[in-house]
Amino acid sequence: MDTSLEHTEHIFELEPQVKVARARAGVLMLIVSDALSVLAIFAAGGYLSALNTLGQYKAPGDAGPPFVAELLIAIALLLSGFFYFWWERKARVSGGTGQPIFFLVALVLMFVAAVTETWFAAALRYATPIHAYASLLLLIAWFTAIHVILTTIIGLLVGGRILRGRIAGHEFIAEVTGYWWYYTVVAAILLWLFGSFLL
Amino acid sequence: MSSTTSTTVAEVKHPTLFNRLVPSVVSGIVLGIIGAVIAGVLINKITTALSPDSVPNDDAVTVAAYLGWLLFFFIGIGAFNGIIKWGFNRHEATPAEELELAGKDQGLWRYFRYTTDHKVVGMQYLFTVLVLFFLGSMGAFMIRLEQSRPGAIFFDPSTYNTIVGMHGMLMIATTIVMVSGPFGNFILPIMIGARDMAFPRLNALSYWLLFSAIPIFLSTLFLGGFPTGWTGYAPLSVQELTPGMDAYCFLILVFATSTTVAAMNIVTTVLVMRTKGMTWGRLPIFVWGVVLSVILSLTAFPSFIVSQIMVLMDRVFNTSFFLAASGGSGWLYEHLFWFMGHPEVYVIALPAMAAAAEVTAVFSRKPLFGYRVMVSGLIGICVLSVLVWGHHLYTSGSENALAAPYMLDTELISIPTGLFFLGMIGTLWRGKIWVTVPLLFVVGMLVNFVIGGITGIYLADLPTDEILHGGMFVTAHFHFTLVGSMVFGFFAGFYYWFPKMVGKRLNPMLGTLHFWLFEVGFVGTFGALFYAGLQGEPRWSANVAPPFATANTIASLFAVLIAASVFVGAYNVIYTLVRGEPADADEWGAKTLEWTVPTPVPLENFEGELPVVTSLPYNYGASLPEPVTSAAEITGAITQAPMQTQGQE
Repeated sequence: MDTSLEHTEHIFELEPQVKVARARAGVLMLIVSDALSVLAIFAAGGYLSALNTLGQYKAPGDAGPPFVAELLIAIALLLSGFFYFWWERKARVSGGTGQPIFFLVALVLMFVAAVTETWFAAALRYATPIHAYASLLLLIAWFTAIHVILTTIIGLLVGGRILRGRIAGHEFIAEVTGYWWYYTVVAAILLWLFGSFLL
Repeated sequence: MSSTTSTTVAEVKHPTLFNRLVPSVVSGIVLGIIGAVIAGVLINKITTALSPDSVPNDDAVTVAAYLGWLLFFFIGIGAFNGIIKWGFNRHEATPAEELELAGKDQGLWRYFRYTTDHKVVGMQYLFTVLVLFFLGSMGAFMIRLEQSRPGAIFFDPSTYNTIVGMHGMLMIATTIVMVSGPFGNFILPIMIGARDMAFPRLNALSYWLLFSAIPIFLSTLFLGGFPTGWTGYAPLSVQELTPGMDAYCFLILVFATSTTVAAMNIVTTVLVMRTKGMTWGRLPIFVWGVVLSVILSLTAFPSFIVSQIMVLMDRVFNTSFFLAASGGSGWLYEHLFWFMGHPEVYVIALPAMAAAAEVTAVFSRKPLFGYRVMVSGLIGICVLSVLVWGHHLYTSGSENALAAPYMLDTELISIPTGLFFLGMIGTLWRGKIWVTVPLLFVVGMLVNFVIGGITGIYLADLPTDEILHGGMFVTAHFHFTLVGSMVFGFFAGFYYWFPKMVGKRLNPMLGTLHFWLFEVGFVGTFGALFYAGLQGEPRWSANVAPPFATANTIASLFAVLIAASVFVGAYNVIYTLVRGEPADADEWGAKTLEWTVPTPVPLENFEGELPVVTSLPYNYGASLPEPVTSAAEITGAITQAPMQTQGQE
């Protein structure tokens, strides 16, 4: 059952263009897979809303998410995406350094959105059994919160690399992290709009 | 296309005993258990404190314990070490560190660590799949024992339901990974001329996620099981009070994440890691099968993940996605489940079919008949299979107008499938057939698939499905498709690639006995169940009613042969591991790249430069050798034969 030769003295490294293509493909596939989850939530919401089983889809008094607060989160996320884009563009041009302050602002905004969204999700209270409408709102709130938290963690890891000066020569990391960053912003806003206006 | 540069390794660390144990699966399990206990106790106290009646939320406690297990298991096995170093280290991982992660100089212990070498991951998958198959087949045998004559024999109905549910879940999960796990990890990268998978750490993650799901699965035994069966239908799954149902949902989430990670890795590997000249038109058919299968799983699994999150929310937080009284709908679960459930059949089928096609070409000594048509067949199956889930809802009260499109689409799948199998038969036609154990399993697969395929037509048609649904006919049909066809395809690949993966030759006599016991037992068992189904026997019944007794007794007697085949197969593997003969580097005289590298395969697969591919790997010479008797003779004969590539024909 031996599957390796024990005296390897060399390791073969991938060419830079392969590393870039690999990172792009991997992140794009992650986004596609996750986007299909978002689509499944849209489909489930539309289905339950249209069926309105036994007229019990929405209980009297079940309110939607706090609109102004969610709007502020959406704006924070949009700004976060914008600042990330600004940093990433500069980082690519300047060989990895860019202007870290823009990244920092993007990360702080994402962190604020994560904390606020989690707090809102935890604060959503409905009488049990929670009817279908409120169930969907809870799902959307927690789904968004977990995604924003995950993006914040990714941001911290990239921030660590920036601090250590390890983006230089690996600019594609900034690029592909950006793909996920923008996707998180877009998905969160779409889910919020869906929960607020289409359910 | 990938290319690589070489770096000399200055120093490879030799770890101490402590470093070998931590991190490893031992530290993972210890920390995982501690994490599960801490999380469970914590949530127990919190939910008790928050409850007006001071009663803990058992479902929340169960889910928290599993989350604790998962998180701490992965901390213990060192899964987060690489990520943290990636983010916060002062330098990139050195070649020595990469080699250590890949398992260099760690002997057998590398199979129990978070090792990134794709061959190690492939072997981990292989042995896990074999163990799970063994357990699943013992569950099947217990079912047949219980059903061998009317009345309760060994189990009460609840225990019987739990055994059926566990058997179904175990076998479905195992068949999903049975080909793309072991062979997709070990063989596929070498086949395309790569030194490893695109994301070696994710590769290890996909396996250890699967591993971490096994204790969750086994824990259902102590938590009341999941009497819903493997489909976990809501609202029963929501109303089912045993925490075993929480385990089922959590298990699905972990397993689906594992397959998603593996799918991303495999697709990326084939997209960007192919060697020079390995164009899409020159990919071995096996690679096509695996890639299309995992693309299908990437598409299908998200809805399943969402469905299980909803069930867990219904159980833990009292939401109502599936409870009609509060505006939910059981149909929602059926749609979300079967949107995954039907494509999943093809997630299982495509790589097994492709492995069988690979074996067919090698042992016919001919190029694949209609390579492009066969690939088109796989793509056609892939596309059509995501549009057919509604045929599982024919009798659930869905809108009648939907029946005809779903019927049409379901039956359309038989066209690309038929083309693929026609290609396999065309490959065998007038070939220089070398009858080996892998080829026996391919022939068995062809025979069984004809039966499974034709009986499927009756279930695809609404008028006959109205009569046959929910009966033993369905059980027999899907066993002929999944086991008789796809598991036979797996065994074809298993006997074919085992010498390359393990470096030893399986005993052909025992292999032949394994095949014949399996085939005769299988056809007898499920042939009898077809008859029971036509007589009207329902699927979900712990006790056999007297009118179906004869058919069930015959089925159970034939099942003894299947059980015997399992033991023969297991003995063959164990005997070969202990006393087997060493295998040749090119055991079968095959032409794909994995047979061009030495056995055991070097750490980075290809010593020196990567190969350059100039044709399809089925270029068996026009002037074939005379019939031969040994692999060595075939290897020599093929090497001497004039090279005539398929592309030049």
